[in-house]
Amino acid sequence: MAAPGTKQVLLSLIEDVEIITKELFELMSAKKTETSTEPVADTGQLMELLLKKDAEIQAALKTATEQGEVQKKIEALQVEVDRRDADILQLQKNLKEAETILATAIYQAKQKLTSIKQANQKSIPSEELIKYAHKISSSHAVAAPNTWQPGDPRRPYPTELDMRMGFLGRLNNPNFQSQPGLGADPQLSRQPGQLDHTPSHAASMPWQPPPELSSSISMTTSNQAAMSEVKGLNKENEDVEVMSTDSSSSSSSDESRP
Amino acid sequence: MAAGRGQASVVETEEQQRLRFQCELEFVQCLSNPNYLNFLAQRGYFKDSKFVNYLKYLLYWKEPDYAKYLKYPQCLHFLELLQYEHFRKELVNAQCAKFIDDQQLLHWQHYQRKRIKLLQAQADKVQDAGGEPKQ
Repeated sequence: MAAPGTKQVLLSLIEDVEIITKELFELMSAKKTETSTEPVADTGQLMELLLKKDAEIQAALKTATEQGEVQKKIEALQVEVDRRDADILQLQKNLKEAETILATAIYQAKQKLTSIKQANQKSIPSEELIKYAHKISSSHAVAAPNTWQPGDPRRPYPTELDMRMGFLGRLNNPNFQSQPGLGADPQLSRQPGQLDHTPSHAASMPWQPPPELSSSISMTTSNQAAMSEVKGLNKENEDVEVMSTDSSSSSSSDESRP
Repeated sequence: MAAGRGQASVVETEEQQRLRFQCELEFVQCLSNPNYLNFLAQRGYFKDSKFVNYLKYLLYWKEPDYAKYLKYPQCLHFLELLQYEHFRKELVNAQCAKFIDDQQLLHWQHYQRKRIKLLQAQADKVQDAGGEPKQ
């Protein structure tokens, strides 16, 4: 505030009045002892000064009351402002809560959508699943037959015999005919236990190899690795008699360990 | 296989493709035989980088369109394991191969019974849980 506060004004005025009244009283008391003309003029001046100061005091008091009323209005408005602030804060809190709830909802919905999309991409008809399950179970490829004993040559993987009778095992044979690997081969003698084994193994290959196999065996470079494996397999099948430990000794050790 | 594919793309006839499909189908299923894996390891096939790349290439059998032709699905598990060099190195030991073979056989033998037991246990649990609140 540029002007001195009303309180200051009032206090200074009161001090002035106090000084003037003091002087007046001194003059009045001095008048009794001295007989000069000055005190009369001074008294008059002092009285006028006193009156003026009194008027100023009244004015200052009036401004003080006005200011008091204004101050009351200010306080009332301040209360209003505080109330509005509280309302705004409350609304802010609600907004924030709503936002978080919506954000989590959206996130979970997005997750669900991605999982739905993923599931739809890889959907397999149940019919196919059942057929496949039947295929691998009926041939005892994943679960042993109930009558399986140690010494039974059946295994959950293609045995050496299977590999020799299969497509790969006979690829390099000169007498490789147009019906290899179909299990209807009279050349190899099989035990009865494997009879159900090999035809279903061949049934896993849906296509018949073409009759002109000798011409198709002229491999491209992309088949060289396969051929080297096959050659390795054939050569070693001739060299090594029993590559796998399918003997009964290993099977009996299985049963001893429950 | 990888070396061949690194060159200009080879156009295969349909017959060659069929042949390759059958070869790879048989080969990948042979991988479910731990004795065969031991055989390959002992002859050093697993040290050939081309063979390792071929094994990586064979991972396409995991897709359902191809996997439905597999009769021995355990081969896929072995294929995944074979991608790790440590497994390939371990397979040189005959004991390792025998251990895997034994475990495989045991699992094969007892799989059905284990599943029945598991289902039975679950059914019992459901029954107990359903029985208690009613009391």
